[in-house]
Amino acid sequence: MLLRIDPTSPEPLFVQLAGQVRAAVARGEVTVGERLPGARELAASLDINLHTVLRAYQDLRDEGLIELRRGRGAVVTAIPADNAELHAAIDALVRVARSLGITPQTTTALVKEAFR
Amino acid sequence: MSTVPHRTMTTVLTLVVPGALLGSTLAVAAAWSDQLPDPVASHFGSEGPTGYSSLAGLLWPTVAVSALVAVGSWVLAFFWGRAALVRRVAAGTAVGVSAVMATIVIGILDAQRGLTDAADTGDIAVVTVVALVVGALAATLAAVAMPGDPHQPAGQAVPDDAPRLALGAGETATWVAVAASRAMLVGGWAAAAFVLVVSVLTQKWSLALASLALVVVVLATARFTVVVDRRGFTVRSALGWPRVVVPLDEVLRAEVVQVAAVSEFGGWGYRVGRGGRVGIVLRSGEALQVERTGERSLVVTVHDAATAAALLNTLAARSRVL
Repeated sequence: MLLRIDPTSPEPLFVQLAGQVRAAVARGEVTVGERLPGARELAASLDINLHTVLRAYQDLRDEGLIELRRGRGAVVTAIPADNAELHAAIDALVRVARSLGITPQTTTALVKEAFR
Repeated sequence: MSTVPHRTMTTVLTLVVPGALLGSTLAVAAAWSDQLPDPVASHFGSEGPTGYSSLAGLLWPTVAVSALVAVGSWVLAFFWGRAALVRRVAAGTAVGVSAVMATIVIGILDAQRGLTDAADTGDIAVVTVVALVVGALAATLAAVAMPGDPHQPAGQAVPDDAPRLALGAGETATWVAVAASRAMLVGGWAAAAFVLVVSVLTQKWSLALASLALVVVVLATARFTVVVDRRGFTVRSALGWPRVVVPLDEVLRAEVVQVAAVSEFGGWGYRVGRGGRVGIVLRSGEALQVERTGERSLVVTVHDAATAAALLNTLAARSRVL
Protein backbone atom coordinates (compact mmCIF):
# COMPACT_ATOMS: atom_id res chain seq x y z
CA MET A 1 0.00 0.00 0.00
CA LEU A 2 1.51 3.29 -1.11
CA LEU A 3 0.65 6.31 1.03
CA ARG A 4 1.90 9.72 -0.06
CA ILE A 5 1.39 13.06 1.57
CA ASP A 6 2.55 16.56 0.78
CA PRO A 7 3.22 18.74 3.85
CA THR A 8 3.61 21.78 1.58
CA SER A 9 0.07 21.41 0.21
CA PRO A 10 -2.65 23.60 1.77
CA GLU A 11 -4.85 20.52 2.27
CA PRO A 12 -4.66 19.33 5.92
CA LEU A 13 -2.42 16.28 6.39
CA PHE A 14 -5.13 14.12 7.99
CA VAL A 15 -7.39 14.76 4.99
CA GLN A 16 -4.57 13.79 2.63
CA LEU A 17 -3.78 10.64 4.60
CA ALA A 18 -7.42 9.54 4.82
CA GLY A 19 -7.72 10.11 1.08
CA GLN A 20 -4.61 7.98 0.45
CA VAL A 21 -5.97 5.09 2.51
CA ARG A 22 -9.32 5.35 0.74
CA ALA A 23 -7.54 5.25 -2.63
CA ALA A 24 -5.41 2.26 -1.59
CA VAL A 25 -8.54 0.37 -0.55
CA ALA A 26 -10.30 1.34 -3.78
CA ARG A 27 -7.30 0.14 -5.82
CA GLY A 28 -7.45 -3.18 -3.98
CA GLU A 29 -4.03 -2.78 -2.33
CA VAL A 30 -5.64 -3.58 1.02
CA THR A 31 -8.59 -5.91 1.39
CA VAL A 32 -11.27 -6.59 4.01
CA GLY A 33 -9.84 -7.96 7.26
CA GLU A 34 -6.37 -6.59 6.59
CA ARG A 35 -4.76 -4.43 9.20
CA LEU A 36 -3.52 -0.92 8.46
CA PRO A 37 -0.12 0.04 9.87
CA GLY A 38 -0.22 1.05 13.55
CA ALA A 39 -0.81 4.78 14.06
CA ARG A 40 2.46 5.28 15.94
CA GLU A 41 4.42 3.36 13.32
CA LEU A 42 2.83 5.25 10.44
CA ALA A 43 3.40 8.62 12.10
CA ALA A 44 7.11 7.82 12.52
CA SER A 45 7.32 6.50 8.97
CA LEU A 46 5.77 9.60 7.38
CA ASP A 47 7.38 11.95 9.90
CA ILE A 48 4.03 13.42 10.94
CA ASN A 49 2.26 13.84 14.26
CA LEU A 50 0.61 10.78 15.85
CA HIS A 51 -2.61 12.76 16.29
CA THR A 52 -2.72 13.47 12.56
CA VAL A 53 -2.77 9.74 11.85
CA LEU A 54 -5.35 9.10 14.59
CA ARG A 55 -7.55 11.88 13.22
CA ALA A 56 -7.37 10.33 9.71
CA TYR A 57 -8.16 6.86 11.10
CA GLN A 58 -11.11 8.25 13.10
CA ASP A 59 -12.52 9.86 9.95
CA LEU A 60 -12.19 6.56 8.11
CA ARG A 61 -13.91 4.77 10.99
CA ASP A 62 -16.77 7.27 10.94
CA GLU A 63 -17.19 6.52 7.22
CA GLY A 64 -17.38 2.80 8.01
CA LEU A 65 -14.27 1.93 5.99
CA ILE A 66 -12.25 0.69 8.96
CA GLU A 67 -12.81 -0.47 12.50
CA LEU A 68 -10.54 0.64 15.35
CA ARG A 69 -9.96 -2.04 17.94
CA ARG A 70 -7.99 -1.72 21.09
CA GLY A 71 -4.78 -3.70 20.72
CA ARG A 72 -5.55 -4.77 17.18
CA GLY A 73 -5.23 -1.42 15.46
CA ALA A 74 -7.17 -0.39 12.37
CA VAL A 75 -8.79 -3.16 10.36
CA VAL A 76 -10.42 -2.65 6.97
CA THR A 77 -14.10 -3.63 7.25
CA ALA A 78 -15.71 -2.53 4.01
CA ILE A 79 -14.70 -2.17 0.43
CA PRO A 80 -16.46 0.62 -1.45
CA ALA A 81 -18.60 -0.57 -4.36
CA ASP A 82 -16.76 -1.28 -7.59
CA ASN A 83 -15.74 2.15 -8.75
CA ALA A 84 -14.14 1.26 -12.06
CA GLU A 85 -16.63 3.61 -13.69
CA LEU A 86 -15.49 6.46 -11.45
CA HIS A 87 -11.83 5.74 -12.25
CA ALA A 88 -12.62 5.78 -15.97
CA ALA A 89 -14.40 9.12 -15.56
CA ILE A 90 -11.43 10.53 -13.62
CA ASP A 91 -9.01 9.35 -16.31
CA ALA A 92 -11.18 11.07 -18.92
CA LEU A 93 -11.34 14.25 -16.84
CA VAL A 94 -7.56 14.35 -16.45
CA ARG A 95 -7.08 13.77 -20.17
CA VAL A 96 -9.45 16.59 -21.12
CA ALA A 97 -7.97 18.97 -18.55
CA ARG A 98 -4.44 18.28 -19.87
CA SER A 99 -5.48 18.74 -23.50
CA LEU A 100 -7.08 22.08 -22.65
CA GLY A 101 -4.03 23.12 -20.62
CA ILE A 102 -6.03 23.54 -17.40
CA THR A 103 -3.91 23.14 -14.25
CA PRO A 104 -4.62 20.36 -11.71
CA GLN A 105 -5.44 23.05 -9.11
CA THR A 106 -8.08 24.63 -11.33
CA THR A 107 -9.50 21.25 -12.27
CA THR A 108 -9.90 20.10 -8.65
CA ALA A 109 -11.38 23.48 -7.76
CA LEU A 110 -13.96 23.00 -10.52
CA VAL A 111 -14.72 19.46 -9.30
CA LYS A 112 -15.19 20.69 -5.73
CA GLU A 113 -17.41 23.50 -7.02
CA ALA A 114 -19.54 20.98 -8.90
CA PHE A 115 -20.21 19.08 -5.67
CA ARG A 116 -21.77 22.12 -3.95
CA MET B 1 35.80 -6.26 -5.66
CA SER B 2 36.56 -5.88 -1.97
CA THR B 3 37.37 -8.85 0.24
CA VAL B 4 34.75 -10.47 2.42
CA PRO B 5 34.87 -8.79 5.87
CA HIS B 6 35.81 -10.38 9.22
CA ARG B 7 37.59 -13.42 7.76
CA THR B 8 39.79 -13.85 10.86
CA MET B 9 36.78 -13.94 13.17
CA THR B 10 35.08 -16.32 10.75
CA THR B 11 38.04 -18.70 10.94
CA VAL B 12 38.20 -18.46 14.74
CA LEU B 13 34.49 -19.14 15.22
CA THR B 14 33.94 -21.78 12.55
CA LEU B 15 37.22 -23.70 12.76
CA VAL B 16 39.27 -22.86 15.88
CA VAL B 17 36.46 -22.98 18.47
CA PRO B 18 34.82 -26.17 17.11
CA GLY B 19 38.32 -27.68 16.77
CA ALA B 20 39.08 -26.89 20.41
CA LEU B 21 35.73 -28.35 21.54
CA LEU B 22 36.28 -31.57 19.60
CA GLY B 23 39.95 -31.77 20.65
CA SER B 24 39.01 -31.45 24.32
CA THR B 25 36.33 -34.11 23.87
CA LEU B 26 38.91 -36.50 22.42
CA ALA B 27 41.34 -35.66 25.24
CA VAL B 28 38.69 -36.32 27.90
CA ALA B 29 37.69 -39.59 26.21
CA ALA B 30 41.34 -40.67 26.09
CA ALA B 31 41.86 -39.82 29.78
CA TRP B 32 38.78 -41.86 30.72
CA SER B 33 39.49 -44.80 28.39
CA ASP B 34 40.77 -47.17 31.11
CA GLN B 35 37.69 -46.53 33.30
CA LEU B 36 35.23 -47.30 30.49
CA PRO B 37 33.68 -50.66 29.58
CA ASP B 38 34.65 -52.19 26.23
CA PRO B 39 32.57 -52.00 24.12
CA VAL B 40 30.81 -48.79 25.22
CA ALA B 41 27.10 -48.13 24.78
CA SER B 42 26.60 -45.83 21.79
CA HIS B 43 22.87 -45.92 21.08
CA PHE B 44 20.04 -45.59 23.56
CA GLY B 45 16.34 -46.36 23.64
CA SER B 46 13.76 -45.71 26.33
CA GLU B 47 14.81 -48.94 28.15
CA GLY B 48 18.57 -48.22 28.18
CA PRO B 49 21.41 -48.99 25.76
CA THR B 50 20.43 -50.50 22.39
CA GLY B 51 23.71 -50.34 20.51
CA TYR B 52 27.38 -50.80 21.36
CA SER B 53 30.68 -49.98 19.71
CA SER B 54 34.35 -49.56 20.48
CA LEU B 55 35.36 -46.19 21.97
CA ALA B 56 36.98 -45.15 18.66
CA GLY B 57 33.86 -46.27 16.80
CA LEU B 58 31.79 -43.91 18.97
CA LEU B 59 34.19 -40.97 18.64
CA TRP B 60 35.10 -40.87 14.96
CA PRO B 61 31.66 -40.48 13.38
CA THR B 62 30.88 -37.72 15.88
CA VAL B 63 34.11 -35.88 15.16
CA ALA B 64 33.72 -36.38 11.41
CA VAL B 65 30.17 -34.94 11.32
CA SER B 66 31.13 -31.93 13.47
CA ALA B 67 34.26 -31.28 11.40
CA LEU B 68 32.29 -31.47 8.16
CA VAL B 69 29.71 -28.98 9.47
CA ALA B 70 32.51 -26.67 10.69
CA VAL B 71 34.36 -26.72 7.36
CA GLY B 72 31.12 -26.18 5.45
CA SER B 73 30.28 -23.19 7.68
CA TRP B 74 33.79 -21.80 7.21
CA VAL B 75 33.51 -22.02 3.41
CA LEU B 76 30.10 -20.29 3.49
CA ALA B 77 31.24 -17.40 5.72
CA PHE B 78 34.75 -17.04 4.25
CA PHE B 79 33.66 -16.80 0.61
CA TRP B 80 30.05 -15.54 0.80
CA GLY B 81 29.92 -13.86 4.21
CA ARG B 82 29.41 -10.28 3.05
CA ALA B 83 26.15 -9.98 4.98
CA ALA B 84 26.29 -10.25 8.78
CA LEU B 85 23.47 -12.80 8.74
CA VAL B 86 25.51 -15.24 6.64
CA ARG B 87 28.50 -15.01 9.00
CA ARG B 88 26.31 -15.35 12.08
CA VAL B 89 24.46 -18.38 10.75
CA ALA B 90 27.79 -20.01 9.89
CA ALA B 91 29.38 -19.27 13.29
CA GLY B 92 26.26 -20.37 15.19
CA THR B 93 25.95 -23.61 13.21
CA ALA B 94 29.62 -24.59 13.52
CA VAL B 95 29.90 -23.84 17.24
CA GLY B 96 26.38 -25.10 18.07
CA VAL B 97 26.78 -28.47 16.34
CA SER B 98 30.22 -29.15 17.82
CA ALA B 99 29.02 -28.11 21.31
CA VAL B 100 26.04 -30.51 21.08
CA MET B 101 28.25 -33.35 19.86
CA ALA B 102 30.92 -32.71 22.53
CA THR B 103 28.32 -32.58 25.33
CA ILE B 104 26.57 -35.77 24.20
CA VAL B 105 29.83 -37.73 23.90
CA ILE B 106 31.17 -36.54 27.26
CA GLY B 107 27.74 -37.11 28.87
CA ILE B 108 27.27 -40.68 27.71
CA LEU B 109 30.88 -41.59 28.48
CA ASP B 110 30.58 -40.07 31.95
CA ALA B 111 27.50 -42.23 32.59
CA GLN B 112 29.59 -45.32 31.82
CA ARG B 113 32.70 -44.57 33.86
CA GLY B 114 33.54 -47.33 36.33
CA LEU B 115 31.12 -49.82 34.72
CA THR B 116 32.36 -53.22 33.55
CA ASP B 117 29.30 -53.89 31.37
CA ALA B 118 27.93 -51.02 29.28
CA ALA B 119 24.44 -52.59 29.48
CA ASP B 120 24.22 -51.22 33.04
CA THR B 121 24.35 -47.60 31.82
CA GLY B 122 21.64 -45.51 33.47
CA ASP B 123 19.20 -43.07 31.96
CA ILE B 124 20.78 -40.51 29.59
CA ALA B 125 17.68 -38.36 28.95
CA VAL B 126 19.28 -35.58 31.01
CA VAL B 127 22.35 -35.66 28.75
CA THR B 128 20.19 -34.97 25.69
CA VAL B 129 18.43 -32.02 27.31
CA VAL B 130 21.70 -30.57 28.64
CA ALA B 131 23.34 -31.01 25.21
CA LEU B 132 20.52 -29.14 23.45
CA VAL B 133 20.62 -26.29 25.97
CA VAL B 134 24.43 -26.07 25.79
CA GLY B 135 24.27 -26.17 21.99
CA ALA B 136 21.66 -23.40 21.81
CA LEU B 137 23.63 -21.21 24.21
CA ALA B 138 26.93 -21.82 22.40
CA ALA B 139 25.34 -21.08 19.01
CA THR B 140 23.82 -17.84 20.35
CA LEU B 141 27.13 -16.75 21.88
CA ALA B 142 28.99 -17.46 18.63
CA ALA B 143 26.41 -15.53 16.58
CA VAL B 144 26.65 -12.56 18.98
CA ALA B 145 30.47 -12.70 19.00
CA MET B 146 30.55 -12.39 15.21
CA PRO B 147 30.88 -8.70 14.35
CA GLY B 148 28.02 -7.11 12.35
CA ASP B 149 28.31 -4.98 9.25
CA PRO B 150 29.64 -1.44 9.63
CA HIS B 151 27.62 1.42 8.14
CA GLN B 152 28.74 1.68 4.50
CA PRO B 153 27.28 4.74 2.75
CA ALA B 154 27.15 4.50 -1.02
CA GLY B 155 29.66 6.54 -2.98
CA GLN B 156 27.71 6.63 -6.21
CA ALA B 157 24.33 7.90 -7.43
CA VAL B 158 21.31 5.67 -7.94
CA PRO B 159 21.52 4.63 -11.64
CA ASP B 160 19.16 6.44 -14.02
CA ASP B 161 17.79 3.18 -15.40
CA ALA B 162 16.61 2.07 -11.95
CA PRO B 163 12.78 2.45 -11.82
CA ARG B 164 11.49 5.66 -10.21
CA LEU B 165 8.23 6.97 -8.85
CA ALA B 166 7.00 10.48 -9.69
CA LEU B 167 7.19 12.13 -6.28
CA GLY B 168 6.73 15.88 -5.89
CA ALA B 169 9.54 17.88 -4.29
CA GLY B 170 7.55 18.44 -1.10
CA GLU B 171 5.97 14.99 -1.00
CA THR B 172 6.82 12.19 1.40
CA ALA B 173 5.66 8.64 0.90
CA THR B 174 5.55 5.30 2.66
CA TRP B 175 5.00 1.89 1.16
CA VAL B 176 3.81 -0.85 3.52
CA ALA B 177 3.09 -4.48 2.75
CA VAL B 178 2.92 -7.83 4.46
CA ALA B 179 4.96 -10.76 3.23
CA ALA B 180 3.49 -13.94 4.65
CA SER B 181 3.39 -17.62 3.92
CA ARG B 182 -0.11 -18.96 4.35
CA ALA B 183 1.21 -22.53 4.28
CA MET B 184 3.76 -21.83 7.02
CA LEU B 185 1.19 -19.98 9.15
CA VAL B 186 -1.53 -22.61 8.83
CA GLY B 187 0.92 -25.50 9.22
CA GLY B 188 2.66 -23.84 12.16
CA TRP B 189 -0.53 -23.01 14.05
CA ALA B 190 -1.92 -26.49 13.39
CA ALA B 191 1.28 -28.12 14.67
CA ALA B 192 1.34 -25.89 17.78
CA ALA B 193 -2.34 -26.63 18.54
CA PHE B 194 -1.80 -30.37 18.03
CA VAL B 195 1.20 -30.47 20.37
CA LEU B 196 -0.72 -28.44 22.95
CA VAL B 197 -3.69 -30.85 22.81
CA VAL B 198 -1.35 -33.84 23.18
CA SER B 199 0.33 -32.08 26.10
CA VAL B 200 -3.00 -31.58 27.89
CA LEU B 201 -4.20 -35.12 27.19
CA THR B 202 -0.99 -36.78 28.34
CA GLN B 203 -0.30 -34.27 31.14
CA LYS B 204 3.26 -33.94 29.82
CA TRP B 205 3.83 -30.26 30.44
CA SER B 206 7.24 -30.22 28.77
CA LEU B 207 5.29 -30.62 25.51
CA ALA B 208 3.45 -27.36 26.22
CA LEU B 209 6.86 -25.68 26.06
CA ALA B 210 7.42 -27.27 22.65
CA SER B 211 4.08 -25.83 21.55
CA LEU B 212 5.13 -22.38 22.77
CA ALA B 213 8.43 -22.76 20.92
CA LEU B 214 6.50 -23.51 17.71
CA VAL B 215 4.40 -20.37 18.17
CA VAL B 216 7.56 -18.28 18.57
CA VAL B 217 9.15 -19.87 15.49
CA VAL B 218 6.02 -19.19 13.38
CA LEU B 219 5.88 -15.56 14.56
CA ALA B 220 9.57 -15.11 13.76
CA THR B 221 9.61 -16.72 10.32
CA ALA B 222 6.23 -16.84 8.59
CA ARG B 223 4.98 -13.24 8.57
CA PHE B 224 6.96 -10.05 7.90
CA THR B 225 6.03 -6.41 7.60
CA VAL B 226 7.90 -4.68 4.79
CA VAL B 227 8.26 -0.89 4.80
CA VAL B 228 9.88 1.55 2.39
CA ASP B 229 10.06 5.08 3.76
CA ARG B 230 12.33 8.05 4.52
CA ARG B 231 14.36 5.82 6.84
CA GLY B 232 15.07 3.22 4.18
CA PHE B 233 13.99 -0.37 3.75
CA THR B 234 12.79 -2.27 6.83
CA VAL B 235 11.66 -5.89 7.09
CA ARG B 236 10.40 -7.00 10.48
CA SER B 237 8.91 -10.33 11.57
CA ALA B 238 5.59 -10.49 13.42
CA LEU B 239 7.63 -11.20 16.56
CA GLY B 240 9.75 -8.05 16.05
CA TRP B 241 12.90 -10.09 15.57
CA PRO B 242 14.49 -10.90 13.15
CA ARG B 243 14.54 -7.40 11.72
CA VAL B 244 16.56 -6.09 8.78
CA VAL B 245 17.08 -2.40 8.06
CA VAL B 246 18.79 -1.04 4.96
CA PRO B 247 19.29 2.73 5.42
CA LEU B 248 18.69 4.85 2.29
CA ASP B 249 22.38 5.72 1.94
CA GLU B 250 23.27 2.02 1.65
CA VAL B 251 20.75 1.38 -1.15
CA LEU B 252 22.47 1.08 -4.54
CA ARG B 253 19.36 0.10 -6.48
CA ALA B 254 16.09 -1.72 -6.01
CA GLU B 255 14.28 -3.79 -8.60
CA VAL B 256 11.69 -6.49 -9.17
CA VAL B 257 13.02 -10.02 -9.60
CA GLN B 258 11.50 -13.47 -9.96
CA VAL B 259 12.61 -15.87 -7.22
CA ALA B 260 12.58 -19.66 -7.22
CA ALA B 261 12.50 -20.57 -3.52
CA VAL B 262 13.91 -24.09 -3.65
CA SER B 263 16.54 -23.77 -6.37
CA GLU B 264 17.86 -20.35 -5.33
CA PHE B 265 17.39 -20.45 -1.54
CA GLY B 266 16.91 -24.14 -0.77
CA GLY B 267 13.50 -23.58 0.77
CA TRP B 268 11.34 -21.01 2.52
CA GLY B 269 11.94 -18.59 5.40
CA TYR B 270 14.70 -16.16 6.36
CA ARG B 271 17.52 -17.72 4.38
CA VAL B 272 20.94 -17.50 2.85
CA GLY B 273 20.78 -18.15 -0.88
CA ARG B 274 23.30 -18.92 -3.59
CA GLY B 275 26.29 -16.56 -3.61
CA GLY B 276 25.53 -15.25 -0.08
CA ARG B 277 22.34 -13.43 -1.11
CA VAL B 278 20.05 -12.99 1.90
CA GLY B 279 16.37 -13.69 1.33
CA ILE B 280 13.09 -13.51 3.15
CA VAL B 281 11.51 -16.04 0.86
CA LEU B 282 7.95 -17.06 1.69
CA ARG B 283 6.95 -18.24 -1.77
CA SER B 284 8.34 -18.35 -5.31
CA GLY B 285 7.65 -15.55 -7.78
CA GLU B 286 7.63 -11.76 -7.63
CA ALA B 287 10.12 -10.29 -5.17
CA LEU B 288 11.81 -7.02 -4.31
CA GLN B 289 15.60 -7.15 -4.58
CA VAL B 290 17.66 -4.46 -2.87
CA GLU B 291 21.28 -4.15 -3.96
CA ARG B 292 23.18 -2.84 -0.99
CA THR B 293 26.71 -1.48 -0.49
CA GLY B 294 29.39 -3.98 0.52
CA GLU B 295 28.25 -6.23 -2.37
CA ARG B 296 25.29 -7.44 -0.36
CA SER B 297 21.81 -8.05 -1.62
CA LEU B 298 18.52 -8.69 0.06
CA VAL B 299 15.46 -10.30 -1.50
CA VAL B 300 11.94 -10.22 -0.06
CA THR B 301 8.95 -11.90 -1.70
CA VAL B 302 6.15 -9.31 -1.74
CA HIS B 303 3.35 -8.32 -4.08
CA ASP B 304 3.50 -4.90 -5.76
CA ALA B 305 7.30 -5.04 -5.57
CA ALA B 306 7.45 -2.67 -8.56
CA THR B 307 5.98 0.20 -6.53
CA ALA B 308 8.28 -0.57 -3.60
CA ALA B 309 11.36 -0.65 -5.85
CA ALA B 310 10.39 2.62 -7.56
CA LEU B 311 9.80 4.40 -4.23
CA LEU B 312 13.01 3.06 -2.68
CA ASN B 313 15.11 4.18 -5.69
CA THR B 314 13.43 7.59 -5.62
CA LEU B 315 13.97 8.12 -1.88
CA ALA B 316 17.56 6.84 -2.08
CA ALA B 317 18.33 9.19 -4.97
CA ARG B 318 16.75 12.07 -3.08
CA SER B 319 18.78 11.33 0.08
CA ARG B 320 22.06 11.50 -1.92
CA VAL B 321 21.30 15.03 -3.12
CA LEU B 322 20.58 16.40 0.34
